[in-house]
Amino acid sequence: MKARTVRLWSVVHTWTSLVSTLFLLLLCLTGLPLIFHHEIDELLGYAPQPEAHPSAARATPQVVADAALAADPGRVLQYVSWDKDEPGIVMAFTNSAPDGAPDNATVRAFDALSAKLLGPVGVGPMLIVLKLHTDMFAGQAGKLFLGAMGLLFAVAIVSGVVLYWPFTRRLRFATIRDGASRRVRWLDWHNLVGVVTVAWALVVGLTGVVNTWAELMLSQWKATELASMVAPYASKPPPAHLASLDDVVARAKRAAPGMEVAFVAFPGTPFTSSHHFAAFMRGDTALTARLLKPVLLDGETGEVTDARALPLYLQALLISQPLHFGDYGGMPLKVIWAALDGLTIVVIGSGLYLWWARRRKRAPLRGGPFAGRARVPS
Amino acid sequence: MHGSSDRAYLWIRVFAAPGLLAAATITGLLAALLWGNVGQHVAWVTVGAPVAVVAWVWVRRRTGKTGPFLPPIGGKKRP
Repeated sequence: MKARTVRLWSVVHTWTSLVSTLFLLLLCLTGLPLIFHHEIDELLGYAPQPEAHPSAARATPQVVADAALAADPGRVLQYVSWDKDEPGIVMAFTNSAPDGAPDNATVRAFDALSAKLLGPVGVGPMLIVLKLHTDMFAGQAGKLFLGAMGLLFAVAIVSGVVLYWPFTRRLRFATIRDGASRRVRWLDWHNLVGVVTVAWALVVGLTGVVNTWAELMLSQWKATELASMVAPYASKPPPAHLASLDDVVARAKRAAPGMEVAFVAFPGTPFTSSHHFAAFMRGDTALTARLLKPVLLDGETGEVTDARALPLYLQALLISQPLHFGDYGGMPLKVIWAALDGLTIVVIGSGLYLWWARRRKRAPLRGGPFAGRARVPS
Repeated sequence: MHGSSDRAYLWIRVFAAPGLLAAATITGLLAALLWGNVGQHVAWVTVGAPVAVVAWVWVRRRTGKTGPFLPPIGGKKRP
């Protein structure tokens, strides 16, 4: 590799890393507790626990919906969801209006058997950590900004791989030059930790970027696929009365055999039209449980009006989520995820140190005969 | 000819281990998603491999068993 090429890649690596450093540190530091948010919520008492009911029948969806409305008088239901990993709990989202802002929604957990209110969901300190991680309390603009930082991170990783060659070609893999200066030792650690975590960092970084586009993708789906699915109902007013949720769930299951309801969106919410329920169905394998299939049902009669697979970009979004969260391989994978997150912090921190140390080293040379010439690794 | 084969050998030597670790990581990430319970166990080993390598290097340094520099390729001296 020519010296000029190395210098160019070095500039790309330095500046893409420097610009995104602060935000990447924020994402890594907030991401660490989020890996264990279930466990932390349980420890702090913010995770509702289902009651013990030996051999009792499950409450019907409509009973849960009624309990949710009774718990939040004057508000409306947006969604009712059933978590595959929490079969004893049903969650209900209420808001001031069907299309109310997500930040104004209240999420409550209900016992799946007795429909008893178990408590609020998504409150406590982890909510603050989550908001910092997803949008820094800046809404959609914050999300898109962090997405841009994620793209810079990806460029920094790729340029780092390119620079790995000139910096390590004379060294055995995983060499740490203990006899050399502290800067060289940290350079060796930076290269080693960076290159061994490169695939994980790229996957987690890019899936994070995809997640920041979730709202945009949903808007696109609503404007295209959903619009064509509900076109015959365009002139109809919103339903005067809603069909029973029991009926909606039963019909949705019949329309998608072998699938379970992941969540039902009520008419007027962002996931459906003003006239339809949308039941989002999931399969029973690790992969199909993530690939949701929407079934649209008439808001008044509960009749199935359409059912189509989600477009590829939304399927990509749904698949990208577990690859970003690391919550699909049990506790050992979570621990490994946390270790890799920690190693990424080491790479970012050591990169920052190397930049600072190099600047400090070059400072006395400024104005000398070699001023302005970048150093090329030997 | 000799120079280009040296270069290819060098390239493989530099990128073989990182390439294998990257392939293992991707395999593990997909395995847990596609192969259920068995895939989870595969993921623990393969996604955990980079962490194990860093831990191994760190332990080796602590115990004083550090790896030497490789001799220069083709007898060339380092600049």
